[in-house]
Amino acid sequence: MDFDVRPYNFTSATTSWLILLAILAGLGLVLPLASLAGRGGAAGLVDFRRGLISYLEDLFSLSLRRIAALASLTLKEAVRRKALLVFVMFAVLLMFAGWFITDSNERAELQVSVHVTFLLTAISWLLLPALIFLSCWALPEDIRLRSLHTVVTKPARRMEIVIGRMAGLGVVVAILLVVMGVIGQFWLSRRIPENARSALQCRVPLFGELYFISSEGQPQETGLNVGDVWAYRSHIPGNSRARAVYVFRGVDESALTRNEQGEEELLLECRFEAFRTVKGSESSIVKGISAQYTLSVNPREEAFGMLAQSEATRAIADALREGQYKTASAELKKLTERIRTAPGELRPADYFGLHFGMFVSGTVLENRKDPALGNLGRLFIEAALTGEGVTAALQQQERGEKVEIPYEAFAAKVDLVADGLTERSAVLMETLQRMEVPLPSFNVSEYHDLDESSTNLTRIPRRLRFVADYETLGRFLAAEIARKNDAGGLLADGALKASLTEELVKESRISQLNAERLVAVLGEQLTAGTLAVDAGKLKVADGRSWYLFFDDLIRREQLVSEDTEGWMIEKDLLQDLIQDPNGDRYLRVEVACINDQMYLGMARPDLFIRKADQPFWVGYWKAILSILLMLLLIIVLGVTVSCVVKGPVALLFTLTFFIVGQFFHDFMIRKLAGVEKGTGTVESMILIAQHRNPEVGMDVSSATMNVVRAADLGLDGVLRGFSMIVPDFAVFNRASMYVENRFDVPFRDVLLPSIVVFFGFLIPCILIGGALLKFRELEAK
Amino acid sequence: MSNAVIEIRNLSKIYRDFWGRKKVQAVKSLSMDVMQGEVFGLLGPNGSGKTTTMKMLLGLLFPTSGEMTILGKPASDVTKNERIGYLPEESYLYRFLNADETLDFYGRLFNMSAADRARRADELIEMVGLGKARRRQLKEYSKGMTRRIGLAQALINNPDLVLLDEPTSGLDPIGTREMKDLIIQLKAQGKTVVMCSHQLADVQDVCDRIAVLFQGELKVLGRVDELLELRNEMQMRTPTLSDEAMADIRQVLKKHNVSDVEFSRPKADLEQLFLRTVRESGERPGRRFSTEEVAASGRN
Repeated sequence: MDFDVRPYNFTSATTSWLILLAILAGLGLVLPLASLAGRGGAAGLVDFRRGLISYLEDLFSLSLRRIAALASLTLKEAVRRKALLVFVMFAVLLMFAGWFITDSNERAELQVSVHVTFLLTAISWLLLPALIFLSCWALPEDIRLRSLHTVVTKPARRMEIVIGRMAGLGVVVAILLVVMGVIGQFWLSRRIPENARSALQCRVPLFGELYFISSEGQPQETGLNVGDVWAYRSHIPGNSRARAVYVFRGVDESALTRNEQGEEELLLECRFEAFRTVKGSESSIVKGISAQYTLSVNPREEAFGMLAQSEATRAIADALREGQYKTASAELKKLTERIRTAPGELRPADYFGLHFGMFVSGTVLENRKDPALGNLGRLFIEAALTGEGVTAALQQQERGEKVEIPYEAFAAKVDLVADGLTERSAVLMETLQRMEVPLPSFNVSEYHDLDESSTNLTRIPRRLRFVADYETLGRFLAAEIARKNDAGGLLADGALKASLTEELVKESRISQLNAERLVAVLGEQLTAGTLAVDAGKLKVADGRSWYLFFDDLIRREQLVSEDTEGWMIEKDLLQDLIQDPNGDRYLRVEVACINDQMYLGMARPDLFIRKADQPFWVGYWKAILSILLMLLLIIVLGVTVSCVVKGPVALLFTLTFFIVGQFFHDFMIRKLAGVEKGTGTVESMILIAQHRNPEVGMDVSSATMNVVRAADLGLDGVLRGFSMIVPDFAVFNRASMYVENRFDVPFRDVLLPSIVVFFGFLIPCILIGGALLKFRELEAK
Repeated sequence: MSNAVIEIRNLSKIYRDFWGRKKVQAVKSLSMDVMQGEVFGLLGPNGSGKTTTMKMLLGLLFPTSGEMTILGKPASDVTKNERIGYLPEESYLYRFLNADETLDFYGRLFNMSAADRARRADELIEMVGLGKARRRQLKEYSKGMTRRIGLAQALINNPDLVLLDEPTSGLDPIGTREMKDLIIQLKAQGKTVVMCSHQLADVQDVCDRIAVLFQGELKVLGRVDELLELRNEMQMRTPTLSDEAMADIRQVLKKHNVSDVEFSRPKADLEQLFLRTVRESGERPGRRFSTEEVAASGRN
């Protein structure tokens, strides 16, 4: 399943629409004005004014009752002209379809997908020709047979006729779709083999954003391209530092589901692709390639990861990621020394990587709005801006310009950052806490053909028990001991409470052995004077924080787990692993490939949080709604065009709009945005004629080339205009894609664009259609 | 004299081709009025501009120049249609509807209430004699029936002004007579009727005034009785006279220097003969009338 849905920007779409509408309105006023004034002079202007007023009067005095009358006329016409025969074709199709598409040996989800795809496609493509024909032919036929004369000589406004036609055909198609939908639902529930019916699912996905961390630790937009497929999936190499990082936003209680025991859990479902460079053992072929999720809270990666872009700064980035701020500071100082003494040793890319990484770091730190961080973020940003000056100056120098490169100023600013890091290392350690929760590994089967040991569904309990790493353990113990200490629960008569071990086991949910070890170590530290008793409470004698106290103990291996499992601790998924620095709650999931010489491929929709499923039919009817909107839009276009041209021409127009909008709209947008490779129209034709490829270019003089390029620019302008007035019909297919892949159809990203596109065309089409019919002579010879 | 319901001033219409070039001038500087309460006939041969004029009145065509007001409003004003009824040359109705549905549909275009529509539909279907066929789709109607339902739809809103394009076209003599009676009835109700027709006898029978157009120009405009009056001849009607009586009359007239005197039996027109035959055939089925009987039965 290779589909990805781009998040929909409603505001931007609405703004573009309003601009386009204003342009159309302007053209709609200027062209008739020029034409009338040109033909009739002052009298033409009077005619224009009269026509405009009359049009506006019509617009503001539309009668719903008349529209309803005209709509019901259309409905009767469709029924009595046997438009409902389409049901017969549908029924025949469904009766025999089972012979060809039902294969109970296939995987369940594939069987469901095949049936649903067939059904939704059959509904769309059966209705499409009937609707195009009805919408394009109805008005021209009325005009040809002069039935319309008896309507327009009544007080019916012509815009009401247009709306009435659209509404009537809309009701026809809605009825047809509802009936077909119901028949289809019945057919699906009966036709899909028993063993596959469990796959009639409507999974509610929460998709995230995806980026990659390379083997060298660089954050990247894409992973490796293994060359076996187009760029839909990116790969990470196995047994390396490379990770795919999914960031899921808006994770809250609603993202959780309950298992059979009634416990809350988070479901992660994947569709990764495995890519092998070696065959591997037989068992690995059967079981697939191993992958592992790690849930992580990693603000240091987010703040400093980008500094790893440049090789020169990678050591600094790694130190910062590990929370070794003083080391990072020292590395920065070394770097500034190199900038001052031998600036040429660093490549322009290094300067760019440094200033870009610092800008990201500064922005992330500033966005945290943490007063304890002081102006550290600002220092990063100022250094970045000075560094940008270095990069710009280097570019100018490369172009042969003589410029002063502000190395010294940059080095001075970076020094300030290094000093800031040293000063605030303790604060940074407290503020930028990292926690990683590795989950058990699982097997990813190639081609999603899962055997029993493979799974694509991972259940993560809300209460997570996991083996803590040093940092996490230190913070956990610090938090637990501080909490008990604040409540006065550690000491009794100036010594550690006798029941402390039991209380820690019960309250902090750590093992008996580890609790005993912890209490013993605390007792030793109290005896050694590292801990002191003050006002009935325990405190670190030298004033360090509890975290630094425990961190020190862990690093000195005094808190090595007594338990063979290690230090198992418990965390709440929503409270402890969802990050919320700016009210934007998100969960970070890192994916690693474990097997050496194997690759794991993934795209944004390949991993998602699976919320509680909806009944399959919810998604199914949403897809039907999307098909309805598409057919309604065809009606709107057909009726609008047929207001001014005859049936066959209207049919041709509408069909062209549909085909271009369905299959080429995205291409037009990509071509105009420069994403699509290739040359301009005229240039391409010349290249074809000359049997040359775009890399070589045309064999023409420079003057001719300029002319050709200018012509191509003009044609691009035409294409731009065309792309604006042709609806993106592909938007209506997305809902079906979701349902075919057993997903629920998200409202905001899928249904909303369909609704917006429909209404975006409906309103101007009514206005244009009304005007075309109003100012048209129905009896012109 | 009553007020003008239609005022036309210097109305011209030029048909142009796709490129805007002049093809034909259908109406040339037409000026005339139609008064309230009269039956007005627009006459002329094919291509004389009478239908074009009517379609401009209805807003189906736009004038090239000139002004028109109908019921005090410009022809382009849709609201004027609330008081107008229009019967097109052919009854261009929706053939998939039946009579009830047709009248209901057109009634809805006038925003009439459901009760009003039903009542009015009953009245009109009764009036045009389609009671037995009201549930049949119009595609099953004969031409005459279609004209009748067309007339009914034209009257659904009880209009003040009725525009009839060839109202008797396609009707049999009985239908024609009924149509003419209806026009007279409409006039009696104070309504204004404008009709285009090639059936000159029909126009003569019902119209108060006529306009004759030729090649787009107004050639004659006036009252029918004035236009058709033969001012240098007299006509006298009596019961059948003997030869002596006729000789005496000639003598008397001779004394007044009138020598060109002609005696003849008046003739019933064909319409009257037809109507009478149909009526009597209904009363006495299976009987055939001889020429003597027909002649003897007189003009009643």
